[in-house]
Amino acid sequence: MIAKPAIPDVLREPGPGIGKPLSRVDGPLKVTGQARYAAEFNVPGLVHGYIVSSTITKGRITRIDTAAALRRPGVLHVFTHENRPHVAWFDRKWKDEDAPSGSPFRPLYDDRIVHAMQPVALVVAETFEAAREGARLVQVEYEAEPHETDLAARRHEAFTPGKEKGGFEPPPKPRGDPDRALAEAAVKVDVEYVQPTEHHNPMEMHGSTVVYNDDGTLTVHDKTQGAPNSHSWVCSVFGLSKSAVRVISPFVGGAFGSGLRPQHQLFMAVMAALQLKRSVRVELSRPQMFTFGHRPPTIQRVALGAAPDGTLQAMIHEAVQESSQFENYVEIVVNWSGQQYRCDNVRLDYKLARLDVFTPLDMRAPGAATGVPAIEMAMDELAHALRMDPVELRLRNYTDRDPNQDKPFSSKELRACFAQGAERFGWSRRNPQPRSMREGRQLIGWGVASGVWDAMQGQADARATLGIDGHLVVASATADIGTGTYTVMSQIAAGTLGLPIGNVTFKLGDSALPMAPIEGGSWTVSSVGSAVLAACERVRGRLYKLAAKMEGAPLGKAKPADMVLTDGHVALAADPARRVPIAEVMRSGGVLAIEEEARSVPYYVKRAQHTLATHSAVFAEVRVDEDLGTVQVSRIVSAVAAGRIINPKTAGSQVMGGVVMGIGMALEEETFMDHGLGRYMNHDLAEYHVPVNADIGSIDVIFVDEHDEVVNPLGAKGVGEIGIVGVPAAIANAVFHATGVRVRELPITLDKVLAGLSRRSAA
Amino acid sequence: MGRYHRPLALADALATLAGGPATVVAGGTDVFPARLGRPFAEDVLDITGITALKGIGLDGGWLRIGALATWSELAQAPLPPWLDGIRRAAREVGGVQIQNAGTVVGNLCNASPAADGVPSLLALDAEVELASSAGLRRIPVAEFVLGNRRTARRPEELATALLIPEPGPGARSSFEKLGARRYLVISIAMAAAVLEPAADGTVGRIRVAVGACGPVARRLPALEAALRGLPLGPDLAGTVTPAHLDGLSPIDDVRGTAEYRREAALVLVRRAIRTLTEQA
Ligand SMILES: Cc1cc2nc3c(=O)[nH]c(=O)nc-3n(C[C@H](O)[C@H](O)[C@H](O)COP(=O)(O)OP(=O)(O)OC[C@H]3O[C@@H](n4cnc5c(N)ncnc54)[C@H](O)[C@@H]3O)c2cc1C
Repeated sequence: MIAKPAIPDVLREPGPGIGKPLSRVDGPLKVTGQARYAAEFNVPGLVHGYIVSSTITKGRITRIDTAAALRRPGVLHVFTHENRPHVAWFDRKWKDEDAPSGSPFRPLYDDRIVHAMQPVALVVAETFEAAREGARLVQVEYEAEPHETDLAARRHEAFTPGKEKGGFEPPPKPRGDPDRALAEAAVKVDVEYVQPTEHHNPMEMHGSTVVYNDDGTLTVHDKTQGAPNSHSWVCSVFGLSKSAVRVISPFVGGAFGSGLRPQHQLFMAVMAALQLKRSVRVELSRPQMFTFGHRPPTIQRVALGAAPDGTLQAMIHEAVQESSQFENYVEIVVNWSGQQYRCDNVRLDYKLARLDVFTPLDMRAPGAATGVPAIEMAMDELAHALRMDPVELRLRNYTDRDPNQDKPFSSKELRACFAQGAERFGWSRRNPQPRSMREGRQLIGWGVASGVWDAMQGQADARATLGIDGHLVVASATADIGTGTYTVMSQIAAGTLGLPIGNVTFKLGDSALPMAPIEGGSWTVSSVGSAVLAACERVRGRLYKLAAKMEGAPLGKAKPADMVLTDGHVALAADPARRVPIAEVMRSGGVLAIEEEARSVPYYVKRAQHTLATHSAVFAEVRVDEDLGTVQVSRIVSAVAAGRIINPKTAGSQVMGGVVMGIGMALEEETFMDHGLGRYMNHDLAEYHVPVNADIGSIDVIFVDEHDEVVNPLGAKGVGEIGIVGVPAAIANAVFHATGVRVRELPITLDKVLAGLSRRSAA
Repeated sequence: MGRYHRPLALADALATLAGGPATVVAGGTDVFPARLGRPFAEDVLDITGITALKGIGLDGGWLRIGALATWSELAQAPLPPWLDGIRRAAREVGGVQIQNAGTVVGNLCNASPAADGVPSLLALDAEVELASSAGLRRIPVAEFVLGNRRTARRPEELATALLIPEPGPGARSSFEKLGARRYLVISIAMAAAVLEPAADGTVGRIRVAVGACGPVARRLPALEAALRGLPLGPDLAGTVTPAHLDGLSPIDDVRGTAEYRREAALVLVRRAIRTLTEQA
């Protein structure tokens, strides 16, 4: 069933769908409210669960009194660690596809409290209101223990993790003698950057509706980035057979990584449904959305040394990041630094500090969105020290081989990104002097940074079924978290079989469909798209064979290699006017439907010989209010090289969304921890700021041509994450250019800018 | 949960309040978020059915803003330019959904230090009309807001309207808000100013108030006195000194430090005054 990798026709001659800026095929369902999300599926007799969260950060539950809650009319049951049903014991049974090494968190497992607002009970009632009221009535007594949540306090007790998580290699061994090279360098910077905790905050909160079927099986509507991941996790934790559970997740209201691991509500809803033999819904409240994974806070030192002409002579990038007490979450933020620039003396170092928090979790461009801003801000500081243009400095140290692994890139059009981005932005008119542009009381600054993200691929399956009516149904268990999966998969299928896009239906988000990995890491087009291509190619192969055997030989002696599919017809490649409708081909062959399933497997050998990555050059213009320190990002140009772009519209939207999130990262997003309580203080969207529409100026996305035959048969790398990576540094660098003030602690809030401006004018 | 009253007549509402305390709900945009996860144990008086409390209009030298008038209604009403400041505030309270539901009177009665309407009301010399079954009384906004979430309203009273006296000829007003993002944000600081120019092109009367820099928004009497009689021109804003803001008592919180607030307030006051001089 393994498809042979072959360069498909669509690459040479993109079909009707591929490369077109199609609007989302699921758009009408979404804007008319017909798309249903996990917590919107209603069934008769549905009951509701509400989670009780702990009020301490660390310690033990000494007593839980549920009597008052159980007396509340409508309350059916209160689950606690004392009465929960049996669940798996071994750690490995609790691992999901995205779990790092360690011992995954188990809700309601025992009396231990390991993080603030940990779920300690589930109240199930006939109505949501009764469940919530019941939750208020549960009385929990604790024995609190001292906790530590401050990364700065633990940074010197940090340890070096190993290979803890797929996709994240430990840093390479040091090259040369970086300390000496730094000491001897003519020009150097040696600075520290601090980044805060961030939470994903998708619009849709995590919810699960578990339907208890008459035969005792479960249909689980879950908010997830991988229905198969939730499915196998539920089966493994509760000891259920694969056929006893089906997980469905056709629409996801944003996730940004929060749905990569099964969250508390899934466990709670399944547990309650199994025990009560009722259909159950559990949805997290917005504050409870701050009780699981998050982008971890980070402290980074970046030291760069250069010759007067800008040639990098030393690079030291050391990072300490938060992890929990029970898992080793890693995102090795430092590796991209050694990959982006040519330098002979390099040390990349990555450590974790254990704190009393929940395990961090991949959030859009995990690692790169943290580490790349640090190196890219440091490069700007170096350019300033060198009195050199920051684009020129980056090109001076440009590399066509990955120095970390000493391998060529499968493709790398970053040079073109700089050239086209600079042209569009008008970079050549930049006066290098900080504070050189103003309009009234507004200081204007221009900054640049590059971005990089990995071009990953996983194994995936897809099934394509072509009916004699010309309608094609393609299915894979992958997810569409708002990224455009439905649309681009339909385009790949339509392109491969020469069908109008309206003839294609793509199905996803169902554990009963052919296997697909979690949707993350920007690898869905690469993984699932290749499987869709492979399945459709098999269908095409069958059609050609049928056409060759047709009675009356309407295509003469043509062999499959001489045929093409266009416009619903099998035609002669050399003479497309000679053609037969697909329906006729199928009828004459006596088939009503052609169904093919295929698995796409990465080009492991070719891939191992290369480094595969997407790249970007991001240019930012900011306007800083000199009196108040407010920063407005008036303009962003992001030039991206990501291989073939299947759909410039949805891909452009992905990059644009990444830019907006990058603006948030640069200027607004921050989860405040009260270290005394060990709790996040701003756990709602009033106080956790993400950009509003009025914060966003113009965003211009350019896709640079990039040809890649290593990455996958489509030549497409994926664009879900590259959009955010370069943005925070481009903005920080623009703020410096506007004001002469370097803020090294994100987000760059107005008070930090103003303090810097005051210090400057005092000096 | 207590009882839920939704009278249609003002007299019934006042009778309810006379019978015992109840939490008054207008737009509910302050009341409900403050109660998240906690039930109403007390009685609730929902005033949204009382049509007599609706409307905005000029009446005998006073602008009357009924207790049910929303921010959106204020922003859209055809009103003279001396109300530009508070109408600008109307477009800065939360987002449009909040402006469609939230009332001006509710903003005042909630008495948050960061209430965006209060500086303008202070600078406009507004008065609150309070009704009870015993009768009506009117008190200046400056005497109404006593502290963080504390007002001079008695439990049996309902605020029925805001009344703003029509200022002298040529009057104009301005408002400046600063938040950590451009929109949908709680103020770090804000300033409002109302100017009644003198016939000779100098400052006749000017009233300036600052919010979110202390438990209650405050007028700046020293500044107002210092500005009186100065020429109305581009240099006026520059005459504001930090000492003029001495009455403020900002705090440190997640939105900004006290020191930052003090600096920001000075800038906002200067900008509010500059706007007034530029409108001339
Ligand atoms: C998302 C969001 C954003 C917000 N942003 C802002 C902002 O930027 N700036 C800002 O200033 N505010 C903001 N608010 C707060 C709120 O919207 C405003 O204060 C609004 O004007 C309150 O009016 P309301 O009619 O909703 O008051 P309600 O919530 O109904 O009442 C507020 C208080 O006043 C009392 N009250 C109301 N009417 C009367 C009356 N007639 N007599 C006696 N007592 C009365 C109530 O008992 C309560 O104590 C925001 C709120 C939300 C939810």
